[in-house]
Amino acid sequence: MLHVTAAFFFVGGSVAAAVLNTMAIRSERPSDTAYLLRLVRRTLPVIGLGVAGTLAFGIWLWSDLGHRYGIGTGWIWASLALWVVSNALGGRGGRHQERARELAEELAASGDASTAELRALLRDPKGNAMSWLAGVATLLILVLMIWKPGS
Amino acid sequence: MLVAFSRPFWPLFLHVLGAMSLVGAVLATAIVSWAGWPRPGTAALRRTAFASLAVVGVPAYALMRACAQWIYSDEGWTGHGDPTWLGIGFGAADAGLLLLLVLLGLAFWWQRSGATLAARLVAGLSSLYLLLLAVAWLAMSGKWG
Repeated sequence: MLHVTAAFFFVGGSVAAAVLNTMAIRSERPSDTAYLLRLVRRTLPVIGLGVAGTLAFGIWLWSDLGHRYGIGTGWIWASLALWVVSNALGGRGGRHQERARELAEELAASGDASTAELRALLRDPKGNAMSWLAGVATLLILVLMIWKPGS
Repeated sequence: MLVAFSRPFWPLFLHVLGAMSLVGAVLATAIVSWAGWPRPGTAALRRTAFASLAVVGVPAYALMRACAQWIYSDEGWTGHGDPTWLGIGFGAADAGLLLLLVLLGLAFWWQRSGATLAARLVAGLSSLYLLLLAVAWLAMSGKWG
């Protein structure tokens, strides 16, 4: 129950962050973009609890169910690897959003007109790909947790 | 691999994915509506609250609820002697539909008017809905009763 609750925090928080980020990218005024990107920060404690909880309660569950899922259980190791990948990519995506927020705040303070630089930063495929790939890794963890291949 | 991805996998995976996405959509709405408490006229917040519910929340609810019915039918439950956690899950889903539709209507009103009352009702109801969703996932994952 605690592991599933942590998973709800992890995925739910990530979906909320994605909604706010998408709406920030679509905003025309830098002040709106900056405001929505600031609100993304409010999802971070939820995601953080989920990230820590899925790992801690997941390992606890694994040790409790050791008779069913041994130390060599491939899908659990794959999930752990994806958990690391998801966090690493999510962190890099977050730094990209922070750069966009800082520029948006500067522009908001000086006339609130968007520039090509801000639009390019918000729509930068490499920066956005980090966040979306982190989401894909999280989705794959969910697939493995429910599929439990080989078990 | 195709055999492994057989019927039991898909309904449960899609049910859980829908439920988690619904939580995310309602959480985003709660965040923007509480942020809008002191300044309900902010257009970006009004747009985000409505878009989050309409574009993510409603499809996620439909996916979650349809797959719940798929699992119910596959498992052969009949409504007689069903486990308590199942009743809580269905109760939360059905009451949640009403809540989601009212929330969507209020978010639309807030988006169109920027009214303070609408913003505050969206903040209160979205928080209440999050609590209801939390009870549902705790009951279902903990197999209460």
